[in-house]
Amino acid sequence: MLGRGVKRKWSCLADLEAEALPAEKQKNGEEGPGDEGGFHVAPSESDMSHLQQRQLVLGLCLEKLQHYQAGVELSLRRSVLLINTLRQIQEDMQSDGVETCTSETLLNDVNADSCLLRDDVREDMPVTCPGCSEGDGDDLPLSPPLSPEFPSQEANSSADQPRSLPPATISSFSDAVNAMGYLSDLALDDIFEDIDTSMYETSDLPSAWAAGSLWPISVSLWADEDVKMRPSSHASAGSLQSCLMDLNELDHIMEILVKS
Amino acid sequence: MIAKFSHAADIISTVEFNHSGELLATGDKGGRVVIFQQEPESKSQPQCRGEYNVYSTFQSHEPEFDYLKSLEIEEKINKIRWLPQKNAAQFLLSTNDKTIKLWKISERDKRPEGYNLKEEDGRYRDFNTVTTLRVPVFRPMDLMVEASPRRVFANAHTYHINSISVNSDCETYLSADDLRINLWNLEITDRSFNIVDIKPANMEELTEVITAAEFHPNQCNTFVYSSSKGTIRLCDMRASALCDKHAKMFEEPEDPNNRSFFSEIISSISDVKFSHSGRYMMTRDYLSVKIWDLNMESRPVETYQVHEYLRSKLCSLYENDCIFDKFECCWNGNDSVVMTGSYNNFFRMFDRGYRQDVTLEASRENSKPRSVLKPRKVSTGGKRKKDEISVDSLDFNKKILHTAWHPLDNIIAVATTNNLYIFQEKLN
Repeated sequence: MLGRGVKRKWSCLADLEAEALPAEKQKNGEEGPGDEGGFHVAPSESDMSHLQQRQLVLGLCLEKLQHYQAGVELSLRRSVLLINTLRQIQEDMQSDGVETCTSETLLNDVNADSCLLRDDVREDMPVTCPGCSEGDGDDLPLSPPLSPEFPSQEANSSADQPRSLPPATISSFSDAVNAMGYLSDLALDDIFEDIDTSMYETSDLPSAWAAGSLWPISVSLWADEDVKMRPSSHASAGSLQSCLMDLNELDHIMEILVKS
Repeated sequence: MIAKFSHAADIISTVEFNHSGELLATGDKGGRVVIFQQEPESKSQPQCRGEYNVYSTFQSHEPEFDYLKSLEIEEKINKIRWLPQKNAAQFLLSTNDKTIKLWKISERDKRPEGYNLKEEDGRYRDFNTVTTLRVPVFRPMDLMVEASPRRVFANAHTYHINSISVNSDCETYLSADDLRINLWNLEITDRSFNIVDIKPANMEELTEVITAAEFHPNQCNTFVYSSSKGTIRLCDMRASALCDKHAKMFEEPEDPNNRSFFSEIISSISDVKFSHSGRYMMTRDYLSVKIWDLNMESRPVETYQVHEYLRSKLCSLYENDCIFDKFECCWNGNDSVVMTGSYNNFFRMFDRGYRQDVTLEASRENSKPRSVLKPRKVSTGGKRKKDEISVDSLDFNKKILHTAWHPLDNIIAVATTNNLYIFQEKLN
């Protein structure tokens, strides 16, 4: 979220317009009254096509979901509105129907990690996280841990078209974001379901999880290759972060377990 | 409207008149409450109602640290609500994200003097010097206003408290967070009843949160709560203990022409207020104020556009996060005019009877004491008339989120980011 009083040009909006409409005469307000101080808005948005706006909003949405201040609790209302917007964009893309992709065409460049994002794979392979449950992993099936690093995705996108990922990839990422976003609540809420805390909603562990302080988890869509998981300051986030291990590590552990 | 007063403060987060209008409370981001009191009308200028001066200042909430989640709990005061006055003291509820406190504000203007065993300065007298006995008497002293916390209602909210509302029975009140509403007895702090719970069993299915809640002004069994999807639910506590099933649901069908990626965000209701009569309620969403008749759920009876010129700017406002701003709204004493804030330190008033509206600005330059506020206008077309301001020149950092209207007179309190302005109607 932008700090209050921070002066900024409506950079990405202006860039997008300049990029997308090169033929059009540059409008007077392009540099923006933002130079005078305070916030101001871009002069014209109506020139953006639906697709351009959708792309822009998608990018902003993910950026906002990703950005959070450690130590400050996220606003649930804001998070819900952002995720709903993301879902709406996803539906919009799907309803376009133009680029319904098969997994081969879209994901042939993608590394094996990202394959787990596809719905079919997710259903076949409920992955349990050793970090969450010591012995019996079956009690707490989690959606596949999402690797924060999508090197090949990033290479794909940044190399060719910085602003247009294949829709189906986006939809799978959206699903992943959703899954991750609610991950904090998934496991422990079920365990403590039968405890009636309605009268005394104290800050016990279940409430702590339910508080959604980690909701949504940060996702790096167009990340740098060497992005690490954000160091977490939460006790609860710590165990969650350990859930979201690198998939290679997980494979490795699975191998060991299977062999033993 | 004439400017009467302005007071610099930390970022103001809530403004509320008490039931007589004599006191005005503000809460700020630093957890402080500042109460202003209206001076009695002066005999020399009977037309001019008294000014508001600082009456009491106290630290209501302190920053806390939630060790379990490793998160700070902000001390910012989200809401203040006054209790109706029952005796000489005044009571108000103030809340931050997690804890509600009941404060007693009392005056002390006399003190006992003439103790037998103590000197005036408090030192004990030597017994041997006491030769007579006297009865201590109360003598006037400089007015001292004391604020003391009488109750602390804690540990009942997992999510952030956004509303508190005192019931007309004056015995109970509700507190609402993003997903739950609790009912409290003002005397009992160690328990509350959960009356609304919209938390889904699977958090993955969460798509809607509670944004505001209020008790009906007359019917102690009725309350409403608004949501981030633009709906308002009216609940009757007589129906069942858990009011998850609403008695009425108010929702306006979406205009298909205005559909955009931001439709849901701008439909999110940021404030809901019953009219004093209890017949209507008003809701504030991002671009408009709507008046609903409680007897008609299908659509509002009146809709007022606060700043429709922003509709074409929603993408930029989404980018700079302004689209998430939560504006409040308020009724005047006889429910004929409603008021709400906007950007550029503008605030808007809508006269329901005369179908007129006005835009005014709260700023130091325009608000010298006793000066009359000039109506402002935002130009939306190509040509900008003199004195008009174009949409592109609006300062979105200057927002008026909190406004309050005196319950009886035409006196309003308007909070800009750091300043409180009090305006009163010019009388001829």
